[in-house]
Order: sequence, then structure tokens, then C-alpha cells
Amino acid sequence: MGTATAKKMDPVLAELVSIVGAENATNAKHIRYAYSYDLSFVEPKLPDYVVMVHNVEQIQGVLRFANREKIPVVPYTAGTNIGGLCIPERGGILMDLKRMNKIIEIDPESLVAVIEPGVSHAQLAAALYEHNLRFGWPVGPPSASVASCAISHGIGGMNARYGLQSQEITSMEVVLPTGELVRVGSCAINPDAWHSVLPLPQMDGLFKGWLGTTGVVTKLGINVHHIPPVLKIFTVSCDTVEDMYSYMLNLSNYEICDDLTAVSWWLSQVPIPYPYKPMPAGASEWFSYATTYSFTEKEREARVEIWEKVVAEEKAKGTSIQVTHYPEEALAARTKLPSQIVGSTKNYCKQGGAGISWPGTFTPAKKWAPVYNDWKKILIEHNLSPSVRMSMYRGVHYGMLRAMIPFNKQSKQETENARHAIVECLKVDLAHGGMPYKPPVDFAREINGRAHPGYLSLLKQIKALLDPNDIMNPGKLGI
Amino acid sequence: MEWHIPSLKELEHFIWRCTACGTCKVAYDYGPPSTCADICPAGTEFGFEGAMASKGKIAFARGILDGSLEWDEDLINSVYQCTICGGCQSQCQLDHKPYIPEIIEGMRREAVEAGAGPLPAHKNLVQSLKSYNNPYQGPRRLRTDWARPFKKAGQPIKDLNKESAPVMFFVGCTGAFNQASRQIPQATASVFQKLGLDFGILGENEVCCGSTAMRVGDAAEFKRIAEHNLELFAKMHKERGVNTIVSSCAGCYRAIKKDYALAADYDKLMDGIKVVHTSEFLYDLHRQGKLPLSGGLQLTVTYHDPCHIGRHLNKFIVDTEGKELWPGAYVGLDESECLYDQPRELLKAIPGVKLEEMKRVRANSYCCGGGGGVMTGFGEWATKNAGLRVAEGESTGAGVMVSTCPFCNYNLGQGAKRIGSAMQVLDLVELIDQVLPKK
Repeated sequence: MGTATAKKMDPVLAELVSIVGAENATNAKHIRYAYSYDLSFVEPKLPDYVVMVHNVEQIQGVLRFANREKIPVVPYTAGTNIGGLCIPERGGILMDLKRMNKIIEIDPESLVAVIEPGVSHAQLAAALYEHNLRFGWPVGPPSASVASCAISHGIGGMNARYGLQSQEITSMEVVLPTGELVRVGSCAINPDAWHSVLPLPQMDGLFKGWLGTTGVVTKLGINVHHIPPVLKIFTVSCDTVEDMYSYMLNLSNYEICDDLTAVSWWLSQVPIPYPYKPMPAGASEWFSYATTYSFTEKEREARVEIWEKVVAEEKAKGTSIQVTHYPEEALAARTKLPSQIVGSTKNYCKQGGAGISWPGTFTPAKKWAPVYNDWKKILIEHNLSPSVRMSMYRGVHYGMLRAMIPFNKQSKQETENARHAIVECLKVDLAHGGMPYKPPVDFAREINGRAHPGYLSLLKQIKALLDPNDIMNPGKLGI
Repeated sequence: MEWHIPSLKELEHFIWRCTACGTCKVAYDYGPPSTCADICPAGTEFGFEGAMASKGKIAFARGILDGSLEWDEDLINSVYQCTICGGCQSQCQLDHKPYIPEIIEGMRREAVEAGAGPLPAHKNLVQSLKSYNNPYQGPRRLRTDWARPFKKAGQPIKDLNKESAPVMFFVGCTGAFNQASRQIPQATASVFQKLGLDFGILGENEVCCGSTAMRVGDAAEFKRIAEHNLELFAKMHKERGVNTIVSSCAGCYRAIKKDYALAADYDKLMDGIKVVHTSEFLYDLHRQGKLPLSGGLQLTVTYHDPCHIGRHLNKFIVDTEGKELWPGAYVGLDESECLYDQPRELLKAIPGVKLEEMKRVRANSYCCGGGGGVMTGFGEWATKNAGLRVAEGESTGAGVMVSTCPFCNYNLGQGAKRIGSAMQVLDLVELIDQVLPKK
């Protein structure tokens, strides 16, 4: 491995070696190259150094040094986001956290787990399963980081019931860009208490949704949940997005689902057709699956009763709703999570070739239909499938609206075509009040261009307070 | 002879099917219950993303192809810091899945052609192949040393150069030249004699299978050896009546069965010859009631699946012409040729033996760390990794770790010593030899 031994003349590397050891610091180009790209359309860029850290003290050491020398630091766990969030905008030190992968505690009574940032969904799923517990597993690869997903407002299979992954966070330990160790939530008051961020001021917000620009989370408390034994999945289809929205709105009012999602015909295909192809004549354009778990058969029957009432009401309205069969492979991929098969976006993009990105947004549910209809036009114009997903978050207020866009990454032209289409879609969504999550820099610019000046001012002040030398993942916020 | 060994450039299309999703990095099974474990020896040891599973290796391949990476010592080391075990391949779900080992070996072939590879230790190994026809720098006359006890006991093993026999026991270089592994061919021959099997060996005329040359990227040397062997096998079939080649080495078996099949003349030259591994051969006899196991061994054992007779024998279903999906689409997996069940069934058939499984088995078996040229190039790491596997075996409560590959057997034995384990490492045939009565 290209470690420091042959690179003694580089003073930055020498310092990094003194902190993390020769085997854990490198500036070898091939190692840096492997961190230079991800699945997205974001242009590859190399870090100047890579370090693997094993403990909090090493993180503090690297950050103190980087802050003193004003060297950018990019935190990295698995690099599986679809926004180029770990691709360095300004070089610097890439801090790989995968070796900090301890599950520190699982409390099956309080239903709280405390994890390090390198803990993967697969790892946590296996550990929780021993207690018959679960978390809201996303449709990402099993090797992806639980903590990174949560602090980036990622989504999971229980969003309709509990909200975003970030809403499951109960406490945090963080190293600030200056190297200072801080805690927020109950663990700040009692080091062994990881149960809640409330009723204290919600300072966890200083580190959630900031794309790794305000610090390095070193421990995370999260809520976990029992696995009820009885699973029932409701599946329906509709011919129009308006009809599907009507059904989802109706059903979500009863708050009986862990996951309430609909996908367009193109996204229901495994993989997504690339390039665009029309859906077959007579096919429904929308399919929905809604998962509901029960502890008893009677509870399940009560949930089914509600669902049947909703379907009857939608039929009475004259919508195109039909109770339907959802393709088995696709259904398994949506419910047996974490999943290697859909593992996920990854299988979606098989036909495209290596690339996938999205306009992934939180959008008011009542705006889904107009946004989708515009997206469909844009995407088809770009010869891309309108492979769109809509999911309710914790009730009826808003939800996730996103289009998974595969593309052939080997072709610069096809990559740029996808990027252009995605940014155009984003503009439509922003105009309807939607907000992108895990946004690449292209998105950040669009967001900031529309932002209230007071928002941008506060954002800059907080960033400057926490990161006075702008070393943490600089450039990602687009400010 | 014409060969279909792809260059890295020819594999470029598949290299661009990798999304870098990282599914390859951990052995995960939904279950329920769900399980998760490390699968990549290089990733476990070195940790950087480039070292990690196929995601990392494919990054190197992309960089080499797009001109971003030039061969230097660091890159060469990383390209050879891979056991090519295929553990990552078992996890991957994308269209390049069937080609992952080929991509890694393609990089090594590229390195050799560029004059940058293989590693110095590998060059010695290849030179030994050229000089001695084995990678151990062993003089030809020593190749049959392991068989001396049979001659001494008045039960010499038939020499196929002089006599005919339907079964050829292809001994392999590790069993023949590595003192610590000689008990494997000895036990195999003993079992065959006890069964009254009409078999023979090539003796001093046996030549390495060439697997090591192929694994380190020296395609020219591999082809030289493979062509010699293919022609010799055909000759043995024609002149000595050989119709079955039995190998007790997972590496030789994989090479003859899979690597040799890349020759255009393979089917013609191997017509009428079946290649089997000892575990498969003995299992067939067991099923036919022709393997009378008696006595008792009060042992708790665990079984280590060698990569080369396990997941390396996967057959991948690919929609080559795009009739159902699209050209080159990976459709599914056929594990019917992977020897997962046969060794286990034999172990269970041994009176008194209790089999306790490790967490990582079958397609998710954790490589011993010796393959892909790693034992030669990075001996210390190979042994360290074997220690991890032995420790996993210890956690089952087993006192014996059984394998079916002299290479694994040796490396696991070294690993046991390194961690101070009392675990005994044995080959399956050694146990069978103990409970098979003389006729």
C-alpha cells in the first residue's frame, strides 16, 4: 500500500502519519483515485491525502492540524450517497471513518442504539435482529453508513410512521472542525444517557443536513423499534398521478403504515429502462405499496378494514384505482431491507451503466402531481425514463418526491444530458415549494439563488462560528 | 493453440457497469435472521476504499484504462494485494459480476505486459516454473518423494508413463514439494489403494497446472504449461486409457476445469476425460455405497470452503445477445458445480465426527488469505489473515479445521501457529483415510 514510508518529504503526510500511523495515511494516487468519484454525475476530483481514523482522538488530531494549516477535510463513511457529497471540491484530506464501526450499545428496553459512524446498515440489522429489533432500512446498499444516512436526512422503510432517519436521532457526539469534542442531546448532560435530544435546545440541528460541513459525528444515538410479527402489504395501481395522490392522502390520514410509497411504471421496472421507452399500452402508470406491521391477527384485520374502506372511497370518487399485484421481485426488494438486490439504486441503474443521480426532494404532497407531470415532460425530452417515487413522511404534510435517473457514466455526453435534465427538474420542484435533500453543489446553487437573505446570512454565521477556517467539506453548501 | 484470455481493454465495457455502490464490501444476507460479516481479506487488512473488494479494484482498472494511473510501486502492490477469492463477486448484483476475477487478473496481465508486474517474489516463482515446471524450485526428481512410503511398503503407485489406468491422480506441486502438505497426496493415494482403485500418477513427468502463473498475470507462461498439459492429458487418454483426472488440490482443479477451458481446443483435447476433485470423487463413491467408512473419530470439526472449488465454480447466466433483457445483462447464478455439499456430506458420514459451521461459509466463505499470489507476495499478511479464519473456526468449538486444498491447508496451519491456536488443520482425505478400512 502506498503509505508514508516512501513519502517522507511531504510534511502534511508526515504530520498525518504521526497522528494515525503509517498504515493509515497515504497520498498514493491510486488510493486517492478510488475516492474521486461516486455513482452521481458529479465530476470526479481527487483528495490530496487519505487518512483512516480509528478513534475520536485521531479525529481531533487530524482536525486540529487541518484547522491550523487551513487544509480541507472531507468526512467519508461509505461514499454511497447520490450527490457527490464526499467528492472533494478543494482537495485536502479525505477522512475515511469506516474503521470506527462499533455498535456501542443496544438497549432493547429503552429502544435506543448508540453507534459509531462506520456502522453499516447490514451490521446494525444483524445486531438488532438478535433483539427482534429494527431500524428504518433504506433501499441503499447494505454497506452504507447508518449515521451518514441519518445526519443527512436520509429516508428509510418506516418514514410514514416515524419520519426521516434524522428524526430518529436521540443524541450525538461530534468533533468540531477546530478539534473540540462536543455533545448534544441527553448524552451531553449524562454521558450514559442517549435517549433524547429534547427538551434541550435542539443543537443536533447544527450537524444534521449540513453535508459534513460543520463537524464529524463520532457517536450517534438512534431510536430502534420492535419487529411486529405480522406483515401486510397493500398494493394498488392507478392510471394517473392525481388518482394515486388521492389514495395516498386518504390512507395516510389513518397513520397505519410504516411505509406508504408509490412508484411510476418506469421505476417499478427492475431495472429502470434506459434510455426511455414508453410504457406498454394498457399498463397502469402508478403502483403503490404500503407496509403495515401488526402484533396480532386482530390488529392486522383492523388495518385491512381501514385500507378496504379507503379503497372503496377512492373507487366511489371515480378514480382509476385498482387493487393489484405488485411484481414479486420488486416487492421483495422494497420490503426485505437492507437488500443487496435492489441494494438498490444500484440495481436500478444496471441498464444505464454505472451512473445514477436524482432530483431527490421533500415536496408538499399536494404538489406531487403538478411536479411529476412537468418532470415527465423534461425527462422524456432528454430520452430518460420518468422513474419517479412518492413517499409520505409521518402523516400527510409532505413527502419524498424523487426521480431515479440512470445514465451511462462512460459517456460524458450522456452524463451531462442526465445532469441537465435533473437540474431542470429541480428548478420545477423548487418553484412548487419542494426542497432537495443530500444536494450536490449544482442543487445548492439553485437553492441559494432562491433563499431568503436572512437564511443565507444565518447559515454563513453558523458555519463561520463552527468552522472559522472553512475546512470542513468546503464548497458543498454553495456559499 | 488459440486462447480466449481477455485483455483489460476487452473488459472495459464490464468495468463501466460497476456503480461503486459498495455492495461487494460485506457478506450480507437478509435471512431472516440477517447476517453480516467482512468478506474481503484485502479490505480487512488495508481498509482504504481502493483496497476494498471489487469496488476498489475496479477503481484501479478505470484509472489504468483512462490514463489517470500509471504503474508505480504503490499501484503494483495494491493490484497484487488481492487473493482473487471472489468473495466480493458473491455479493455483487450488477452486470460485471461474472467478470470480476477476470478484471483483476486482467489488470495483472496488463502490468506484466507493461513490464511493471508481477512482484519480484512472483518473478522468482515464474522463473521456477520455467526452469523446474513447478513454483517451488524443486528438482524434478523430488516430485515423487511423497510416494516413497508406498514403494517401501510394497504398494508402489502406478506410473502412467509406463502403465495404463483409467484414473489419473494429478498430485499438484504443493502436495508434492511442500513438505508440510505431503500428507495430502499420501492420504489420497492411501484412500485410493484401500478402495482398490486402478489409478496412476505422472510421476516426475507431472508439470505444474499453471494456476499460479495465471493468477499473477503471466498469461504466456500459463499458456505454455496449460498447452503442455492438455496435450499430455489427451495423449494419456489415447495411450493409457485415462478417462478421469482426480485432483486433491483446489487450485489445480480450478485451473484444469476452468482456466484450461479458455483454450479453443479444450473440448477436443479433453474429449472423453472427466476432471474431478477428490471430494467430489469420493462423495460419488459414498453415494454408491462404495466408501465403507468404519471405526470412529470423536471429533468436532469445522469446514473451510476453499474459494477454488467453491464460488470460483459458479456459472453465471448472462443474456449475451440481449434476447430477454439487454446485451450482457447478468441474469442469475448456477451454483450446481460448486463443491459445497460434497465435503460436508462426507464429513457427516464419518462416524463420530460432528460438523460445526462457521459464520462465513459456502459462497460467503472467508478466504484463507493464501490465494492470488498473496502467500508468495505478502506472506506475513497471508498468515495473519489465516489466523483470522482459524479464530473464526475456534469460535464454533471445533478442534479441527478441515479443508480440501493443500494451499488453504498450509496457510491455515501457519495461521493457527501465528495466533497460538490448538486448532488442528487437516484435509478431508486425511480424515477419510483414518476411517477407511483396508480391503
